[in-house]
Formats: sequence, C-alpha cells, structure tokens
Amino acid sequence: MTTLKEPIYLEEKLKEIQESGRLGYRSRSLPTWCPGCGYFAITEGVASALNALGVAPHEVVIVSGIGCASRFPFFMNAYGLHTLHGRTLPVATGVKLANDRLSVIAIGGDGDGFAIGGGHIPHAARRNVDITYLLCDNAIYGLTKGQISPTTELGFRSKIAPYGNHDAPLNPLMMLLAYGASWVGQAYAGDPHHLAEMIARAIEHRGFSYLNILSPCVTFDKTNRTYRALDLAVRHLAETHDPADVMAAMAEARDRDHPALGLFYRELRPTLGDAMADIARLARASAEDPVVSGRPAE
Amino acid sequence: MGGTDIQIAICGSAGDGTIACGDILNQAMADAGYRVIAFDVYPPEIRGFGECMARSRISDRAVHSMKESSDVLVSLNDAHAIAHVPEVHDYGAVIYDDAPVTRLHEGQHISGHIKPGQIPYGLPARQIAEQATGAAKARNMAALGFLAGLYAMPREAFERTIRRKFATKAAAVIDDNLAAFAAGYERGAATFKLDLVAFAPPAAAASGSRPVILSGNAAVVRGLLDARLETLFGYPITPATPILEMLAAALPKHGGRFLQVEDEIAAAAATLGAGFAGARAATATSGPGFALMTEMIGLGVMAEIPGVIIVSQRGGPSTGLPTKTEQADLDIAVHGGAGDAPRIVIAPTNVEGCYRCAGKAFELAETFQVPVIVLLDLYLSNRLETALLPETSPFAQGAGKRFSPADRSGPYRRYALSEDGLSPRAIPGQIGGIHTITGLEHNELGRPSDKPEIHQAMSAKRHRKLAAAVDFPDLRITERLGDDGPVDVGVLAWGSTAGEAREAVERARAEGIRAAVLKVVMLAPLPLAAIEAFLADAREALVCELNYEGQFANLVTAATARRLDRLDAVPGVPMAVGRIVEAIRRLAGREAPRAA
Repeated sequence: MTTLKEPIYLEEKLKEIQESGRLGYRSRSLPTWCPGCGYFAITEGVASALNALGVAPHEVVIVSGIGCASRFPFFMNAYGLHTLHGRTLPVATGVKLANDRLSVIAIGGDGDGFAIGGGHIPHAARRNVDITYLLCDNAIYGLTKGQISPTTELGFRSKIAPYGNHDAPLNPLMMLLAYGASWVGQAYAGDPHHLAEMIARAIEHRGFSYLNILSPCVTFDKTNRTYRALDLAVRHLAETHDPADVMAAMAEARDRDHPALGLFYRELRPTLGDAMADIARLARASAEDPVVSGRPAE
Repeated sequence: MGGTDIQIAICGSAGDGTIACGDILNQAMADAGYRVIAFDVYPPEIRGFGECMARSRISDRAVHSMKESSDVLVSLNDAHAIAHVPEVHDYGAVIYDDAPVTRLHEGQHISGHIKPGQIPYGLPARQIAEQATGAAKARNMAALGFLAGLYAMPREAFERTIRRKFATKAAAVIDDNLAAFAAGYERGAATFKLDLVAFAPPAAAASGSRPVILSGNAAVVRGLLDARLETLFGYPITPATPILEMLAAALPKHGGRFLQVEDEIAAAAATLGAGFAGARAATATSGPGFALMTEMIGLGVMAEIPGVIIVSQRGGPSTGLPTKTEQADLDIAVHGGAGDAPRIVIAPTNVEGCYRCAGKAFELAETFQVPVIVLLDLYLSNRLETALLPETSPFAQGAGKRFSPADRSGPYRRYALSEDGLSPRAIPGQIGGIHTITGLEHNELGRPSDKPEIHQAMSAKRHRKLAAAVDFPDLRITERLGDDGPVDVGVLAWGSTAGEAREAVERARAEGIRAAVLKVVMLAPLPLAAIEAFLADAREALVCELNYEGQFANLVTAATARRLDRLDAVPGVPMAVGRIVEAIRRLAGREAPRAA
C-alpha cells in the first residue's frame, strides 16, 4: 500500500486552491478519500469546470447517493444532497423540475448507479432531463471495503467473491447509448486536464449528459483497474469519430480492452423542461375543468 | 327526523353502465339540493362479468356514512343483484328488467327472490330503450328514467346532468341517452307506486352557498391546487391513480408540473428533491407503493425536508385487495422506515376533510420541515359526498422559518439547535445559505457526525420540533361529537370509519345511551391531551377501525396505558353501523330496543 508522509491536502494546499480561480467551488471540508484516489481529480475537475463556465456556487446543486464517490457534495461549495443509496437521479430530477435555473450535477459510483440505482438511469436518460451525471466508475465498492460491483471484471477476487467474480461486467456506455442519453462521454481520473474539459462540456450540454469516469481504487483493487493498467489501456477517440453517429459510438463503446476517452455521442433534442413548457401551453389552451367528480371509471 | 333519507342501490355487471347510472343519480340529486353520499363497489377487472354496485344515500340533511339497508334496489343484471335483495328493507322496492336479453331458468330471475313485503317493479328496460333510440345500448338510462319517474325526482336536474356527462360525445349519444331516460321516466311516472319511499323537497341551501358533490380523491386534488402545489410525481396505483390523472391534466393549467415516474421510490425521491429546492411537492400512492417510499421518509425526517405524501389505503398485506377498503397502513405511516423517524400523519374523516388535510399538509410540512402523510382509504377516495368548499383558498403560502442572509453570523447552520427544534431553512439559489443535506447523522452545520452527544441532541431536536403540531390551527385535529361531559361509552375513531362511528353514536343516543365520539385527525404526533380528556370522560371506551390488529387502539393504549374495547374488522367495505351500535349497547349494558 502506498503510504505518503504528508496528507495530500494540507491547509496550505486548500488555501492555494481557494486563492486560485477555482476557490469558490471547494468547501472547507477536506476529502476523506484514500490518498491517491481518482476522486480527487474529479473534485478538481468539477471545480475548474464550474469556474470555467462561470456558474455561481449558490446556483449549483450537487446530488449524490451512497458510496465513496457520493461523499463528493461535502467537499464542494454548492448546495448538496447526499441522499440514499441509488436514488441520485430521481432526487436530481425533482430538484431540476422544481427550479430550472439551477445547475444540477448528479454524482455517484458504479454500485450506486448500476446496482441499486440501475432502474432509474434509463428513465432519466429517455426523459432527457437537463442534468449532468458523473459516474465515478472504479469497479468496486470502496466504502464498504472491496466488494464486487456491476462493472467488476470477471474473475476478480475479493472477500465477498473469494472464488472470483462470476458475473460479467456491464458496459455502462453501451447501456447509456441504448437508453437514449443525449450526451455520452468517457474520461479518466489519470488524465485530469481532459477530465476537467469533459466535465465542462457535459455540464454545458442541454439535456441529460452522462460522463463515465474511469477511476482506480488504490486501496481495494491492486490488480485490475490500476493507474498503471489504465495508463496503458486507455486511448482517445479518433478525430474522425462522429458524435452524431450512434452506431459508431456503440462500436467504440464495445472496446473494453482499450477504453476510449472523449465524446462518444451527442444529440440535441427537447429536454424534460421543454416538454413541461409544451404541456403547460396545451393545458392552458384547454377549456375543460379536469377535476370532475373524481370517481374511477367503471 | 322524518325527512328524506333514502338509499338507492344500482347493481349490474361490468359494462352494463351501472356506475354511470349512479353517477347521474348522484349529480342530479346534488344539483337539486339534496345531500348525497355514494360509494361504488367495482371489480378489479376492467371488463368481463364482475359485479358493479353503485349505492347512493340521498338525504335532506348532512349524513356521514352509508346505510346498512337500501330502500330501492335497481337490477341491471339479476345474476349479481339477487344476492343483494335481502339488503332491501320491508316496503322497499326492487326494480328489474322483466324482459332480459337471455333466456333465464327458474331461480335465475330476480322476481323469484323478492321477499314478501318488498315491492317489485318489472319494466322492459331493453324494449323501452330500443323503442326510444333504435338500439338497446341505453337500457341503463331507461331503468334510471323509470326510477326517477316512479319517485317523481326532479327531471330537469337529470337531463342537465346527462347533457353534461356526455358533453364530449357526439350529439347522437346525448340524444339517445336523453330519449331513453325520458321514455323510462314517463313509464315510471305512470306506474302506480306501492312502496313507502318518498322524496320530500330538499331544504334550501344556507346563505347562497351550494354544496358541491365530489369524491375524496377530487377533494384532495382541489386542496392541493388551492394550496398551490408546484410539482407532483407519481406512479399509478389503485385507488390513488385518479389523483394522479386529475393533476396530470389540472396542474399544468395552474403553473405546476406533473411527472409519471418509474416507481414509487423515484416518486418519493423526486418529491424530496423538489421540496429541498423550495417547491410545494407531493406524491400520491397506496399501501404497496407507500412501503417502497419509507426509505425516503427516513431521509426527509433526517434531513428535515418538507414533502406531502397522500396515501389511500386498500386491503393488504402485499398486493392484497386492490379494490377493497381497509385502514391497515396506519402502523407503517406512523413508524415505517429505519430508526426513530418522527413524522406527521393526518387522516381526514370525510370528503371535506380530504380538501382541508391535503391543503394544510403543506403548511405543516413547511412549518415543521418534515414529510407529512395524508392517510385516506379507498372508501374515502372513491366515495362521492356533498361538501362545502370555500370560494377562495384558505391555505397560507410559504410557512416555516426561512433563512435570510441578513440574519447571518458565522457559517450557515442548517440544523442550528433551538428551543422549538426548528432551524431556518435555506433553499438553493440563496446566497449565503449553501449547505449539504445528508441522511447521515450530522451536526448543526449538516456535516456528518456519529458523536453520541450529537446523535442525542439531534434526535431530541427532530422529536421536539413536532410537539407543537398537535395545536396547529384550522385543522380540526380532534373533534368531539355527541354528549358532553361524562358518558357511558366514548368511541374513538379515525379516518373514514369516523363517519360510521358518528352515525352509530347518534343512534345509540336516540336509544337513551349517553355516548360521544372523538374523531382523531392527527395520528402522529398523537394529540394526547385531547384523547386523555376524552377517555377521562368515558366510563367505557371503544375503538372501531378497519384492520385486524387494532392499530390505532394499540397506539392509544401504548400512549395512555388505558385498555380499550376494540371493534376491528376487515370486510373490505365500510364498517356496518349496526355492529358499532351493538358494541356501544353491550358496553353500556343495554339491550337492543324491541322492533316497533
């Protein structure tokens, strides 16, 4: 295990961050993640993306579930909801529907999103609710100490899978493409500048944006998704990749041996907010009083 | 008494137009100024041959429950109606189609089941409809017309109602229904009436206000709209679906938003998300969906987020009896979820109460920063009742302590400990109010903490802050009716069963028993002072409710250590008033009076 003589974030470091342009977006709480965790880069990435986009902290709402990644809101200077395991997206949908002016970022891990919360993702995607979902994919349950997750590789051994993981991993990108997400991209915590840029583009997108962030768990995964392994495996999408071509995006997403980074797919279509505005227009135009006696039909 | 108080039962098979008949009868008689209470029984299947029964109690004074016996039974399908002949009392009437479409064997025709003392009226409903319209489709309208004509009910009110009911259909549909009704009406008016059923003209409505007739669900919708509901998230489930459907159409007209979500977990989650963002947010469900929402109630309690959850109970456990009524979700409403999770639970006792509770729920939720559960049951959701609703909304906006940057000193403490347990709430978009809510135990700043002294202090805060809820104004948290002072029997009732309890107490009092009923609307926190005062007055105390375990009685006994007599039943239909009267007599040491 890597041991560092000094914690990464000293008070001076925090001060330095706060004095830089990203200052307003970091809270006074220091992250509780293990030294070396990929999530530090995501925190920095979100701060610099918000800074670049010029969104005021009090107009940002960060929604998370339960897990290491879901601790995220505590470390940011923004309104935050650290909710329940798997419930990130419906809570975020409620926030956005209540107030369109808020920038809503949902964040969580692979277990939170694809195991317990798996039923919510297709619906947030197909509704095209205008939020950004940052999925911090470390292929493990870190907070509860190393259990297998829906994206864990076959054969991975852990206390809860002592004879090796026997369930094939999900392919998040292919799922999101199939669900109809209007913006699908992938980034890597080991490439922080590209990560920050992708986060900014995801937030900028009008509609449901999904960013899959490959991130190593330095404590509980020493064999599979390590920085060393990912450094060698990842590649950037070719310049020629057309983000309007969903089949090309699918083909790229299938390649798990050499995960591609970049924007896989983007489509501009009406958001849930647009649909709500249309409905309000239609409803106002209708003369009928919909609240009749209210008895169920025979 | 001696005024009009008549119950009409219309029985048919799904597809006969039974419920439509009942609907028109209720609307027309309410239009004419009578007080109406009506409850239908219908099968869980949409088509097929399930039994449909529309019962309407029409009275010239306020009534609180259905009668146990009917004055008139109208059969649109003998196979189903035969079983209900015994509910018609002596000198009551049975109206039936004496020329049914299929050949019936002996015993299959209702005429062979009518008891001595009941008055039969056969009419060729099918032929009347065919002659009037050229088709048999409006057979139900011919039967309804006969009923209205026989008892000289106000014809214009029926015709108005029919026009309104079919307003969206083709003109021919309206004409056919009116023609069949008219033909039936003339036939009925020309028939020599032998029974004792008679309608006196209704008393004039007081001070120009006219009662409207609507269901409990519709009253909930009107209450939510009048309180300016902003978002409603829901997942369809019987019997709460009509609330979702009505709001899907109405809410966008009023500037709000409706979203059918993927499950009840999402419905509750989005409701809390919207509540956190400062909106008046609600969801509506029934027991099985509510069970899925309990994790979010825990979060709402822990993070102190307002939200309103309408729960219309049906028979349980599990999928249970989706189209039958029951009051068995009280335990889960009060205690459901992990940990000590105090919340507010209110249960209206009639349709007017549905309106009041739904609207007031937001004031409670915002004042006490907590999820509020409004507990109905299928009977209350679906029954129609004349109710007096206010012309303008009586509900206040923006209740509760709110954060203002001007008051700020030091970092914003979302969960600042205070004497009343309430802390000013900031909402996203407010400068200076940034905070993160969490389902983890937290300190005043909202930062996670598992220190024992913090858990103790915050648990106390969450409980303490609800103490004032039992004195919340304009909610009629408890209501005592019947005799004042010491009584032989005091009946405690909640939810829809309070209506039957009230009727039973009135009957017992008419027999000379000193009795009173306490309607308890707030079930969590319990209005203990009012309950204890009532119990102190009651030599014997009875709790009647529609569940097997006596869930409310258990709550009261746990809080007061008073042993209570219990009348628990799970018939799937409202509790029989006669059973409550019998229990009151037994406790009062009286015998049933001899029949006159």
